[in-house]
Amino acid sequence: MGSKSTDKKRKQVESDSESDNELANGLFDGVLSQSESDDDDYIASGDEDEDVDDSGSEDTEGTDDDEEEDENDDGFSSDEIPSDAEPEDEMDKLAKQQEELEITEPGVDPKPRKTEGKEERNYRIEKDANGGERYVYDEIDPVYDSDDTDFNEPTNTIGNIPLSFYDSYPHIGYDINGKKIMRPATGDALQSLLDSIEVPEGWTGLTDINTGNPLNLTKEELELVRRVQMGLLPEDVEDPYPDTVEWFTSVEEKMPLSAAPEPKRRFVPSKNEAKQIMKLVRAIREGRILPYKPPEERERELEEQEEQYFDLWQNEEPRAPNPMHIPAPKLPPPGYDLSYNPPEEYLPTKEEREEWEKEDPEDREKDYLPTKYDALRKVPAWGNFVKERFERCMDLYLAPRVRKNRLNIDPNSLLPKLPSPSELKPFPTVVQTIFRGHDGRVRSVAIDPTGVALATGGDDGTVRIWELLTGRQVWSVKLSSDEPVNTVRWRPTKDAFILAAAAGEDIFLMVPTHASVTPALDQASRDILAAGFGYATNGQQQQLPPGKEPPGKWSRPGTKLEDEGVLIKITVRSTVKVINWHRRGDHFCTVSPRGQRSSVAIHTLSKHLTQIPFRKLAGLAQTAAFHPLRPMFFVATQRTIRCYDLQKLELVKIVQPGAKWISSFDIHPGGDNLIVGSYDKRLLWHDLDLSNRPYKTMRFHGEAIRQVRYHKGGLPLFADASDDGTLQIFHGKVPNDQLENPTIVPVKMLKGHKVVSKLGVLDIDWHPREPWCVSAGADGTARLWM
Amino acid sequence: MGKVKKKGQAGQARNYMTRTQAVKKLQLSLPDFRKLCIWKGIYPREPRNRKKVSKSATASTTFYYTKDIQFLLHEPLLQKFREQKVLEKKISRALGRGDVSDAARLERNAARPDKTGKPRYTLNHVIRERYPTFADALRDLDDCLSMLFLFANLPATTAVPAKMIARCERLCLEFEHYLIASHSLRKSFLSIKGIYYQANIQGEDVLWLVPYKFNQRVVGDVDFRIMGTFVEFYMTLLGFVNYRLYTSIGLKYPPRFDQLKDEGGAELGAFSLEGANLATTETKAITNGEQGPDPKVQAEVDKLVQQLRDEEAAAAGETNGKAEESAPETANGDADEPNDTIDKFEPAAPGGDVLPQPAYSSSDPSQLFAGLTVFLSRETPRQPLEFLLRAFGCKRIGWDEVLGAGAFTHDESDPRITHQIVDRPVVRAAVAEDGDGEDNQTAQKLAANRRYPGRIYVQPQWVWDSVNDEELKSPEQYVPGAQLPPHLSPFVKPTQGQYDPTLPLEEQQTEAEAIEAALEDEGEAGSDEEVENDMDVAEDDEDEDDEEFDGVSEEEEEEDEEEEEDEDEEEETTLERQRELEAELTGKAVKREKVDPKTKAKLEAKKVLERRKKQEAEELERAKGMLSKKKRKLFEQMQYSNSKKSAEDAKLRQKRRKLEKEKAAAS
Repeated sequence: MGSKSTDKKRKQVESDSESDNELANGLFDGVLSQSESDDDDYIASGDEDEDVDDSGSEDTEGTDDDEEEDENDDGFSSDEIPSDAEPEDEMDKLAKQQEELEITEPGVDPKPRKTEGKEERNYRIEKDANGGERYVYDEIDPVYDSDDTDFNEPTNTIGNIPLSFYDSYPHIGYDINGKKIMRPATGDALQSLLDSIEVPEGWTGLTDINTGNPLNLTKEELELVRRVQMGLLPEDVEDPYPDTVEWFTSVEEKMPLSAAPEPKRRFVPSKNEAKQIMKLVRAIREGRILPYKPPEERERELEEQEEQYFDLWQNEEPRAPNPMHIPAPKLPPPGYDLSYNPPEEYLPTKEEREEWEKEDPEDREKDYLPTKYDALRKVPAWGNFVKERFERCMDLYLAPRVRKNRLNIDPNSLLPKLPSPSELKPFPTVVQTIFRGHDGRVRSVAIDPTGVALATGGDDGTVRIWELLTGRQVWSVKLSSDEPVNTVRWRPTKDAFILAAAAGEDIFLMVPTHASVTPALDQASRDILAAGFGYATNGQQQQLPPGKEPPGKWSRPGTKLEDEGVLIKITVRSTVKVINWHRRGDHFCTVSPRGQRSSVAIHTLSKHLTQIPFRKLAGLAQTAAFHPLRPMFFVATQRTIRCYDLQKLELVKIVQPGAKWISSFDIHPGGDNLIVGSYDKRLLWHDLDLSNRPYKTMRFHGEAIRQVRYHKGGLPLFADASDDGTLQIFHGKVPNDQLENPTIVPVKMLKGHKVVSKLGVLDIDWHPREPWCVSAGADGTARLWM
Repeated sequence: MGKVKKKGQAGQARNYMTRTQAVKKLQLSLPDFRKLCIWKGIYPREPRNRKKVSKSATASTTFYYTKDIQFLLHEPLLQKFREQKVLEKKISRALGRGDVSDAARLERNAARPDKTGKPRYTLNHVIRERYPTFADALRDLDDCLSMLFLFANLPATTAVPAKMIARCERLCLEFEHYLIASHSLRKSFLSIKGIYYQANIQGEDVLWLVPYKFNQRVVGDVDFRIMGTFVEFYMTLLGFVNYRLYTSIGLKYPPRFDQLKDEGGAELGAFSLEGANLATTETKAITNGEQGPDPKVQAEVDKLVQQLRDEEAAAAGETNGKAEESAPETANGDADEPNDTIDKFEPAAPGGDVLPQPAYSSSDPSQLFAGLTVFLSRETPRQPLEFLLRAFGCKRIGWDEVLGAGAFTHDESDPRITHQIVDRPVVRAAVAEDGDGEDNQTAQKLAANRRYPGRIYVQPQWVWDSVNDEELKSPEQYVPGAQLPPHLSPFVKPTQGQYDPTLPLEEQQTEAEAIEAALEDEGEAGSDEEVENDMDVAEDDEDEDDEEFDGVSEEEEEEDEEEEEDEDEEEETTLERQRELEAELTGKAVKREKVDPKTKAKLEAKKVLERRKKQEAEELERAKGMLSKKKRKLFEQMQYSNSKKSAEDAKLRQKRRKLEKEKAAAS
């Protein structure tokens, strides 16, 4: 602070006049020696009361302005001065302070001052607020040579305005510190006149705006200005761009500068170079570096290199063919029709040609039409050649390959060896007799064991006996007015002439009158039927617990029927659909599919006894039969056929034909084979020794099979009857040899029955000896086929 | 319980791969994948169950074996493809930047494989891998040859560079040279598609098709990039095969190629074979233009020509070809010398089995044309004729100058010529008048139809038929202007029951057809009424049949022959009765037809035949009924194809019968 103020002062002083400065300097000189002791004193006492002074001054003049604080700080050695001083002009006071400061300054460091003459010290030591030393450097006075380019002579700050504005003032502007720049003294008018007459050196008539003095320019300066104005170089030089003088040149001197002898290494081959060269040599040898060739030549060479051939299969080793590899099939060789001059028969007719042309090219069997050219020169190019090759290419790479086994066998070898039809003869082929008379469907047919009479039963509730060969009706009885006769079956022995028929829940046993029936036979039959009555009265059925109804009630059907020959009526619990006799004729079984527990019943003729063999049956019983030779009993439910041993009373076998609903079955007279007909159109042959599953399945019918039947008289025939109105006759030979399989040959399809309300043929029966069969149709007829 | 198996983790689903999956796995572009597949011989498979294989909802069309694709994964070419892709990317990027010089640098570098450029590859290893033995390669040569011969005849386009065509042509000609040198060409066939050749190389039959020399028309969308890929492979293959074949008969490969001659159109003649052991003969065969014919042969030929001239003087017009043919053969063959050919075994007594023996022929078919000097007229196809004649021993072939260089002689009037092949119509009237003056454009100094005495003029087909029958055919059938005998394919192997045009019709027609034909003949010979009556009879027959089908009287046909005969008689009588009745009704007099006993017998036979046929058909039906469903279907399929074939044959026979009849009527 202090320095600042002093600086201001000094500047002012300086600006005022040089003489003042000089004066002051002289004054300072005198003061310097004086203040030395004071300083010492001050230093000694300063430690004691400095703090007090400070605090006191602060207390008293705490609210003073900065200026006064400075005063206090500065005025440590001039304690008396403020007390002594009278209130004077502010300027004076300031000037005085300045003076005192100036005085005290050199006193701060008196010792350096002493040696001032030799080396000038540019700082002084002052005490700062804390009482420490402070070096205060002088303001640098920039002279012309100073590095401080910023420093200029006191500069007028009025800006770019004419000086004439200040004509009425004693100053001509303000310097940077705001001090007025006083107008320099000008001479009087005379002087100026003289000046105007006698142009002084460098007179320009201009006034320096900064100083207000006339601006004088030297000759050199003027010249400079002129040159600049002319756009010339400011300095007048003869050659502005002289040639460079190459003091240190790149040109090698001819004469060696050194006289040293040549070193040895200059005469010895370089190892490094040898290495480099070897590298190149190696690269050339290895072909990494090639001699230059024009690109075309190089290209050609490369191609030739590509066409380098050698023996690729020099050490060939055959490889086992990969089983997954399918070689591409070769194209077929050309046939006769591809010739340019084919035999005439290969040429297409007009129609064939038109057809070929009409077809879509993709659908054509051949992609060419055989054409004849009478000379080779007339043969044109094949238009599709490129396309065909292309398609072959596509096939080779894009067609999925599959290995297809082509059977190169005669198709006839697939066919089984069948006996010739002449060997299969005889079998029924044609309808011989049509038995008409039944009103409504004929439900059942049966030929009597002697083969002369035919019994039929129908929807009209009658049982009729016909002359087999002539078709004449010989006997008839109406068993029931409302129930149809479901089945009729002859007793299989020839010693009697007994027919069993079922209508509803009743089973009737009758001895029909027929021409072949002698009175003796008739009597024998009646005896057989009557024998049981005595047995029944002997109280056999009394074994039943009281209150329980017997499964079958044997009774006489009434006089009217008895007169006709119907002798016994057995009433069971539900409608009987099937009757089958035992081969001896003493027993017969009946099946009433709706009868649940009592659906299968076995009746004994000699005892007039009805028994229910099964307490419980798995499934609905469809039909049942006795084994033709052994004491066995077969019962067919919907899906299976069960075979029971009647002696041991146990289940022997379950045959599973695989049919959905068995309609009927029949046992081969040999006893080891079985045919099963089913409502799902299948006819199944079972070899009982072989398996439970069918040996052959035949599906030749379009509708359900109702009845199947073996020929029982020694001929290898069997037949089935279907709802499609046909009978099919099969040759089914069972060999005597156990190891051989039965041969089954379909031989005949007999058509003739009409289909009425989806029912065709309902029953068939074979003649006991001849290859004849009788069928019962839903169209109200029975037919004899022979 | 075992682990629950996830679907698509095992079995077929893993064994097969769709094409997209394969391309993804190999990290290739589709064209590169295609190339790789073509070269490596990888082809799609048909999976047994498409549904199990395809994992996607959309139906994939192409499946490959996963193992095949894994096999491709190890292919060194794969790396080359990738390098190529990288280079292309670099170039395209440079072009995208507009930095043409950089692109050019890359392109230039591409020519220098040492400077990280275009990868150069060879397919040698692929060929070795695909064909582990030479026989394997021969087996697959059919397509290769057909393709290369086609490309040798294509015009150069951007898709098919001229270099490729030239290389194909060279390879093909080299291959032909081998066939000529080794005499392994066997058969050839002029078809409407082109010329088929069959060669037997080291026991392997190779059949290929060469197009006729015309500009090939490209129809439809043909992708030449795919074909080019194939050709690239085939070229390499045929090169190696040629090398092996040439070295196997002691020749140097590649043969010397004379650029100058090739430019002159010499084709086969531009090559000269060099070899260690058969150098002398072979080079002579090739360069026959310069050297004169063998003096010995020449003497023979001269003698023959003299003889022929004499004969011609005696009987003008008629040339006796047979004497001419037989002469050189007898000169060549030595009858008495013990030879190492096998002997023919003739059965001494009947009853023994016949053992097959190789074809026995007295003369070597490869020397078929050995003694001849053939001149080809300018309208004949030179290339196939030259090749064929050379392959079968002909050493001296001359042709007109317009057909190119390399001929034995261009002079048609050369007296050494024994055979001339011409294929132009005979113009009889104009011969004398404008014979000399007009035909200046060729070297021929004679009129088109002027004949030199002492040589045999034949049509080109003569060469082919001679080759296929392995004997010189009698030239009478092939004289210019004559109706040529049909040209038959030598590749058809006669099978039992198939129609064979070479055999007379009577030998191969079925019994029914024979009777039918005979009846027709008779019918034509007889009156119209009779024919009508025949028709009536036939109709009646049909009626009967219908009834029989109804099942009423079917047992008739199953009865014995005698019965049938009786029945026939019965039928006749009933028919007659019916006719009488009809006549009564219409009020006409009963017309007793007089039936020729022969015709009657024929009719009888026909009836019998028909009956038998019907019987057979029924029997077949019964037998078929006994088959299981699967077998029955198979049987029916076979039956279908067989019957189709036999129907075709029947049609051919019928046509031929008609033609023969027409011919008979005309003559």
